[in-house]
Formats: sequence, C-alpha cells, structure tokens
Amino acid sequence: MNVEVAGVTRRFGRTQAVAGVDLEAGPGVLGLLGPNGAGKTSLLRMLATVIPPSSGTLRLLGRDPRGYARRKEIRRRLGYLPQNLGYYPGFTVAEFVEYFALLKEMPPAWIPGAVTAAIERTGLADQARAKLRTLSGGMLRRAGIAQAIVNDPDLLLLDEPTAGLDPEQRVAFRALLRDLGERATVVVSTHLVEDVGAACGQVALMDAGRIVFHGTPAELTARADGTDAAGDAPLERGYSAVLAAARAGAGARS
Amino acid sequence: MTAATAPAAAPRAWRVPWPAGPARLLRIELRRSPMPWMLPLLAVLFWLSAYRMAMNNPPFWNIRSATLQANAMLVFAPLLAGACAWAGSRDGRRGLTDLVGVTAAPRWAAQLATWAAATIWAEALYLAGVAVLYGVTAHQGAWGGPLWWPVAVGVAMIAASCAFGFAAGLLLASRFTAPLAALLVFLALAGGAFAIQDNVRYARIWPLSVQGPFPTNSYGIFYPYLPDLAIAQVMFLAGLTAAALGATGLPAAAGGRWLRAAAAAVTVAGLAAAGTAVGLAGTARVEAHGIVIPALHDAASDRPVPYTPVCSRSAVPVCLQPAYRSYLPAVTAALGPVLGPLAGLPGAPARVTQVAVTSVQSAQSNGIGFGGPVISGRPPVLYLPLSGLSLPGEGNVSVAQFTSGLRQQYGPSIVNELVGLPPDEAVGADVASTDAVPDARHAAQIAVARALDQIMDLTEVGGGSPARSGAGGAAGSGAPLLARQEAAASHRFSALPAAGRHAWLATHLAALRAGRITLSEIP
Repeated sequence: MNVEVAGVTRRFGRTQAVAGVDLEAGPGVLGLLGPNGAGKTSLLRMLATVIPPSSGTLRLLGRDPRGYARRKEIRRRLGYLPQNLGYYPGFTVAEFVEYFALLKEMPPAWIPGAVTAAIERTGLADQARAKLRTLSGGMLRRAGIAQAIVNDPDLLLLDEPTAGLDPEQRVAFRALLRDLGERATVVVSTHLVEDVGAACGQVALMDAGRIVFHGTPAELTARADGTDAAGDAPLERGYSAVLAAARAGAGARS
Repeated sequence: MTAATAPAAAPRAWRVPWPAGPARLLRIELRRSPMPWMLPLLAVLFWLSAYRMAMNNPPFWNIRSATLQANAMLVFAPLLAGACAWAGSRDGRRGLTDLVGVTAAPRWAAQLATWAAATIWAEALYLAGVAVLYGVTAHQGAWGGPLWWPVAVGVAMIAASCAFGFAAGLLLASRFTAPLAALLVFLALAGGAFAIQDNVRYARIWPLSVQGPFPTNSYGIFYPYLPDLAIAQVMFLAGLTAAALGATGLPAAAGGRWLRAAAAAVTVAGLAAAGTAVGLAGTARVEAHGIVIPALHDAASDRPVPYTPVCSRSAVPVCLQPAYRSYLPAVTAALGPVLGPLAGLPGAPARVTQVAVTSVQSAQSNGIGFGGPVISGRPPVLYLPLSGLSLPGEGNVSVAQFTSGLRQQYGPSIVNELVGLPPDEAVGADVASTDAVPDARHAAQIAVARALDQIMDLTEVGGGSPARSGAGGAAGSGAPLLARQEAAASHRFSALPAAGRHAWLATHLAALRAGRITLSEIP
C-alpha cells in the first residue's frame, strides 16, 4: 500500500478537521469527495507531510513520515498540488518546474528531460518560456500540476486540480490522471463529481472529518438506488444519498 | 488494478551529485532574483554617496577607500536589508510555504540559495563601483596602491545587511518586514555613527568607523594602512552574517535534526565571532597613524612607507611625499614669500620637507592634536605637515585659496620658530582665548615677528600666534606702555629696507632667539 491511514485525526485549536480516518490506497486514482469543510484538504496536507496528524498512524510509500530521513525519502517520490497554488511571478513555466525538480532532489541529468515531459503532458509546451505572471488561472493550475508530476511521483496528491481548467483541458487532464494512475497512487480531492466518475477507480467521500464512503464510483452510484437523492447525474445522486445517510446518523461505509 | 489491492511501489534511490543541484538552484535564483530591479537605484545612490563624494577629494587611495566603506554603506546597507527581507519573505507572501515545505531538499539549503543570489547581485554591483572608483583614482595618478581592507569591510557589510534582512523576511514574513528591516538597519548605522562620534569605546567596531579620528592625509600615505580595525570589523560582520543565516535554519521546517543542530552551531559560532570582534575593538587604542588592536597588530605595519620625495627647484627646495606631487607648485608658491626673505639667516630653513601629520589621542574624546611645522637639524630643515588644510580640488578649494591658506596658516608659525617664540601650538587656534597681556620676556621677538608678518603679508591671520595677537591688540593709545613700545619697534623694523632687515637679522637673530635683545635695540 502506498497510503496507509489508521485512526488519523487532526485538530486546529478547537476545530476537529479530521476525526478518525482509516484509508488504504495502492496504485490507481482515488477521488476524495466531500462538501466544503469535510476535511479533504486537511487529510491531503497530512498525506503530503505538510502537517502531522494529531493522533493515529500514517504510513506513506511504506514509510512512517515522522522521522526526518523517512519523510525525506517520501518527499522525493511525492507530488503535491495544494488547493491554493502559490507561484513566483517572475519565473517562467520551465524555471518553475525545474525549480521544484531540483527541490525534489532529482538527479540533475534527468531534470531537463523530466521538465520537458511534465510541461508537455500538461499542455504548456507553448508557454514554457512565459513568465508565470502572464498566465491565465487555468494555465497556472497546469503549471502547478507540471511541478507535481515532474519527478514522476509514486504518490501524487492533487487538491482541486481541475479548478480553473476549461472543459477541453479537463478532459485531457482526466486522461493524464488515468495514465499516472497506472503506476502511481493518485489522490484527487475535488468537488466535481464528474471528474471522479471519469478518472477515478476508487472514491472516498468525506463528511465532518470522517470517511463516510469508500468504494468504486459504480458503488457510489448504486447508493442512490431506491432513494430520492438530488442530483443531475447518477454519481451526484449517489453522492447526495451517502451524505444524507451519513448526516442522518446512519454512518454509511462501504 | 484498484487502489486497494496494488503493492507499494519500489523505492528509487536518487542521489544528487554535489554541486550540480545547488549550482542549478543558484542559477535560477540569480536569474529571477528581485535584486537586479534594485541595481539602477543602487547605482545612482553609489554615484551620489560614494563616487561624487570621492571625486570631491584629492586622488588619495585612503580617501577613496574611506568613501567606499563609510559613505556607500550608509545608503547601501539599509536598502539591501529591505530588498533581502523582501526576497526572504517570498515564500510566505506568495503562499508557497506548503509547496516548498514538502520537497525533499532541506528548506535551509534552498533559502540560502535565495539569499546567496540576492547577495551576489549586490556584491557584484558594489565591486563594480569599487572597480570604477579605483580605476578612476589610478587614472588620476594616485600614488601607492589601492587599499583593499575597506573594500573587504564593505563586502562583509553587504553580506551582513542582506543576511539580516533575509532572516527577518523569512522568520517574520509580512509585506511590512522589508521597510522595517531597512529602517532598523538605517537606525542601527545612524546610532553607531553617533556612538563613534561620542567615542564610545566599543563603537569603533561599527563599519562606518574607518580609521579613527585621523586626517585622511596621514594613514596609508606616510605609514601603512593599519588593518587591525578592519580585520575586527570583517570578523564582526561575518559573525553577524553567520548568526543571521544560522537563525534561518532553526525552525522545524528548515530541515532535519542534524541540519538544525548545524544551523544552531553556525548561529552560536557567528555570535561568538561577533562578540569576540566587539571585545577586540574594546582593546583598540588610537596611535600616531591609526588604530591599533594589540591582538591583531603586526608591528611591521608601524614602519614608515619608504618613498623618494619630489622636490621643487626653488631657492629653498620644497620636498613633498610623492602622493602630493601635483600640489608641489602650489606649496612652493605658498612658502616662497615666507622663506625667501629669511633665506641665509642663521637657523632659517634651507629646505622644506613634508612630514606625516602626527596625532595623539588626548584624554578627552576625539582630542587630537596635530603637530605644526618644526625647524630642526643642521642645516635647518622645515618639517611641514600639511594638516588642517583643504587641498586644491577638495570641494571647491582653488589653488589660490590653498596657497593663501597655507601661507597664512603656517607662515606665522615658521616666523615664530625662527625668532624663538614658543612653538605655535595652536595653528588655527581660537584667538579670542589667548592672553591679551604682552609678555615682557618675548617683547622683542614679538615685535620682530609682527614686523615680518606684515612684510610677508601674513597679517590676516598673523594673530594666530597667541603672543603676537595679544600685543597687537593692545597697541592703541590706551594700551600698556610695553605694548606701545612693542608696536613702535615693530613699525620701525618693518620700515627698514629689506637688505637692512636681513643684515640685522643675520647679525642678531641668535641673540634675539635667546631673548637677549630688547625692544630699544631693534632698529
């Protein structure tokens, strides 16, 4: 398992952001769904080793991230796109991606090829020499994805990766996700149910800091059967049904 | 394959060869550092604060180097602290803390690359300024060679102010950190300058203190530049740099335990070095030609710099240190009217030799006494320090002003020396503070000296001689009898033909000097 989470909690002062999450994931694309404030970003930040859990155990790529040396090994093989992507306006796309390749301690000889590949995979080849300050929001998001995948990560964590992308780019990005999921574990946090349906083999639905559903998109869709859950698409109705059940205290889990 | 069933991927062992990674990181930081945007402003400020100031002074290496250390740093250091604080707060301001925080490379290493890039730009500009200023100075034919220790202090100061600003920006990331860091550094420099003026013992460590309260035509020309203080200053600034950069490696996000321990060690070592330098500065003492720190002093630096003087072909040759070669005609022209009428008299100088300005620290703060001209030796030589004078080209001083100033400042002193009056210790002294009561023991000497002053057109400041000013000021109708007699003798003597005066002096100068001539014996 690349991701092994057991009983993980995270508090921010009096706020319980993550309230006892158990999760396992190997290679493939795992969609992390949930409403605002469900704890998706906090869980993703713990998986990215940005913050430690308040309690519980976490193993990433077979290692405990609490030790610095182990954490460093994990980080070399990690790709992360935060929800609010900061950037250096004066850097070009290529420099931005190369900068993170260097920080990820990639062998220098690999970096030129890896940077080129990452930029091409995200459709930014024509903008490689453009300064980040000149890019649109969607292009910046793609530059963020490029830096996340530049080291060909074994664990890729993407927080709202399709925010700001146009429909054509979202389609291309879903294909990229499926491609990356062939070898790596990709965890995608999103509000967009259709992204999950199109690209994810597994889906986990979070609400109030807990995972209330973990299964395949088809299983989530099936949860809507026999209910009057709201939604335009079958997956959305499944999402609504699970949330409604969870909030009714049913504690639905697959 | 689903996410639940796949095995963990096999780890890849990546090793980063040194120094390819850091070098590439530095290359990117150099390309994208905000510092180049500051360069035009810094260049203008360098021109205003250092270059223009230096060009308003004679082409002496010591003066030019002093502006590089003191003037340039006063404007450079605060701006660089602000700019580096801006660079240091970059990740915090840009919301990149999470993203860069989860990379494998120690955060400290990446941060040091950012600091290094900003510092390299600033140092490059400073050194370019040094090259221009020194190049122009060499082109102007300055004697000797450039002084590098003041430049080293400037380089260390730039690194230190940038490190301080960077650490402040990193640890207290805010849009206000940059202006605050700049203001703090400016206040620290200004406070240090005041402390230097107040002669606070340890304040000499402050990098604006160049070589103590010395006239700039002393050190580095007749005697070697004493690097003692500069060494302590570089040590102090290097210590501050290490401490500031070490502090940036202390937060948990900076790296692992060992790396943070190393950062702590660097911080402690830096503080220890800075503290040691301050302690060394406390042991400094002002000596004749510079500041001496016993623990750092090389006795070989106390030996005068050997040189072949440049001499005029006048009746009384005037010999100057070659750094003053361009001033030889002016000095000769200034002294000619004074030395000409005295030539051939017993004890009159047969030659003029420039000597170093000697200065001794008194008990009072900054109480420096500069020696005046002295006639000694056989044949007599006038040893002339060009102290307290603005040289031609210094500010708006013209050759005529210099010539007039030199004659009127030193002329009376030379006459004093010749007629045996007490040495004029107060070249340029406050006349009002002198005793107005004529001195009977020296009345004849004063009368002759006053007459010579008038003849040589030294009367404008002839009163610089305490004794003569006292008598002259009391020569009116209501003055004491002795003063009236002294004035009368002076008028009589000045009315003599030049040949007669010279003949009388040739015969009676020894007796006059010995105080055996009375006022009535003066023709």
